[in-house]
Amino acid sequence: MSTFMEPKFLLTLILMGTIVYITYLTKRNATASDYFVGGRSFGWFTNGSAIGGDYLSAATFLGIAGLTYQLGYDGAYYAFCFSIGLTLLAIFVAGPLRKFGAYTVADFLAYRFHSRRARLAAVAVVLAISGFYAAPQLLGAAQILSMFFGTSYEFGIIFTCSVMIFYVGIGGMKGTTLNQALELWIRLGAFLLMVGAAIWGGLHYQDILASINEFKGTITGTAGFTTDRKDIPFDGSVWTGTGNYFPSFWQTMSMTIGLSLGTIGLPHILLRFYTNPSAKAARRSALMAIGIASAFFLFAVYLGVVGRSIFLTGEADPAVMKDLIAGGNNMVVPSTAQALGGEWLLGLVIAGAFAAVFSNLSGLFIASSGALAHDLYATFFRKNITEKERVIAGKASIIVLGVLYGILGLMVKEASIGHLVALAFTVAASTFTPIFILGIWWRGMTEKGAIAGLVLGLVSSMYMIFFKTTLPEFLQFNVPGIITVPIGFLSVYIVSKLDRRVPADVNEFMKQVHSKESEAA
Amino acid sequence: MAGEYREYNYVAADTIDVSELKPLDPETKQIMKSEFSTGIKLTLFYYVFILSIPILNWYAGDFMFSRMWGGMTYSWFFTSIVAMAMAFVIALIHTTLYEKRLKNQAEQSTSPADGRRIG
Repeated sequence: MSTFMEPKFLLTLILMGTIVYITYLTKRNATASDYFVGGRSFGWFTNGSAIGGDYLSAATFLGIAGLTYQLGYDGAYYAFCFSIGLTLLAIFVAGPLRKFGAYTVADFLAYRFHSRRARLAAVAVVLAISGFYAAPQLLGAAQILSMFFGTSYEFGIIFTCSVMIFYVGIGGMKGTTLNQALELWIRLGAFLLMVGAAIWGGLHYQDILASINEFKGTITGTAGFTTDRKDIPFDGSVWTGTGNYFPSFWQTMSMTIGLSLGTIGLPHILLRFYTNPSAKAARRSALMAIGIASAFFLFAVYLGVVGRSIFLTGEADPAVMKDLIAGGNNMVVPSTAQALGGEWLLGLVIAGAFAAVFSNLSGLFIASSGALAHDLYATFFRKNITEKERVIAGKASIIVLGVLYGILGLMVKEASIGHLVALAFTVAASTFTPIFILGIWWRGMTEKGAIAGLVLGLVSSMYMIFFKTTLPEFLQFNVPGIITVPIGFLSVYIVSKLDRRVPADVNEFMKQVHSKESEAA
Repeated sequence: MAGEYREYNYVAADTIDVSELKPLDPETKQIMKSEFSTGIKLTLFYYVFILSIPILNWYAGDFMFSRMWGGMTYSWFFTSIVAMAMAFVIALIHTTLYEKRLKNQAEQSTSPADGRRIG
């Protein structure tokens, strides 16, 4: 079989071809509304799929099953934390945000307070969160390319950034949304096939958990792949219990708070609600995305258990056993796919992994592009900018971001994907989450309060992650949400109470984001 | 289209002391109250469920990590199966109640919104 006829090449090439075709079809972006929010034309099914595509990144597609495989119950707990946030977003933010209806996340603050300072602070936080989120996605993309196609890390970063510049720069939000929706279904399809193959093969959830739980000893057939040439020991009762990753109750609680509230503040997810034609469609999109994400997390945890079960029996193909030992967590889904369905299922999973990277990165690119072109350039440097110039600025900012993210990707080669994703969620939970919840529901919030919340939330979360070791031991959290989220909320509340100067037209703002007129229209 | 973007004049808006703020119009107040009340009740219920899992894991571990179905423990079942369904069910209840409220509002007579058009 020629190299390009191998399923992994073939299916990845089909994916790339489809991306190019969709991008070509959606290249016409005449207005800023077309470019930044897809002309607000996407119904709940397309946008719900795109939100799912945006949210379920490569770290989720490969990482959740990998963490479950490695850590057992504590890995499954990660999926649990990630599953919470979209529901809170749907309840408190999705509908009102669409009624507000602007282009970017920073627009919300700028118009809530008539404030350029608030816009500037929001831009800084958008770029920080997007950067922290984009870096691990690029790292994952380069690793996937290296694992399956033998390319160098540097090539992987440059290739992925080039695809993003083409895909987001030309297609704008329209192309990005359609590509994200398609890519979501490729991933979900791969998972559905894997789950079907596992059940067909008799790997029933309760049975394999029982056999894993009862396993205590060494795993036969693994000595050939370890450095010390000894079979790997494993204790199933430890794996199915808690404490493998979270050393204490408070660490568990802190991660639960940080990850569950982080979703509300992710700029690329918030932005998606501007693309619906109405608040009703925005809420339905959120519901659709929650359904997809819940199914996705359920399957991912199950597949992690299946991977562990296959590994423990020691009966898998030697290549699969080797990948499970040497390839790290990210190889669990591909190796399990190969064990369950051979080269074709492996090929679909690899295409799905690329789809996950592109989907998530494109959302981050478009969110950051809005921050640079619309919030910075058009507001501070070119006040009388035309629609056409605004679109050109958006496209130019994609190239700038491609270069910046590329450099960032090269810098984080040795970093932990989980660490960087946790950082993005913690910053989001401690900055935009208080701002959006209080900004939508509390008239007493002031401009100074909002800026204080953004600055203190950003600084405290970054400090507690990057300089963790300088803190007393009881404050050294892997995800410091239990400290930084209250700092964000309290900063907004206390400074607003002290300041007392609210916008004179705040009642009109509340009417705009909550009234039935804006809803019905 | 509702909420279509418009450029906004930064200069016009002043600030006032929060004590001088007029009450919201009754209609918006009622909508906010109703929405928030539904949202907060659902959220409280959801968070009681969410936080009970780590609390029980750490303080009633014998029960949570005992088997309930084959090798599946109570903790595994609630964390990786029930919680996923719960996320969707809570959102579904919220969306259903919201659409019901919207339908009721649409049946009542309305006056056009005036004032600031920002979105």
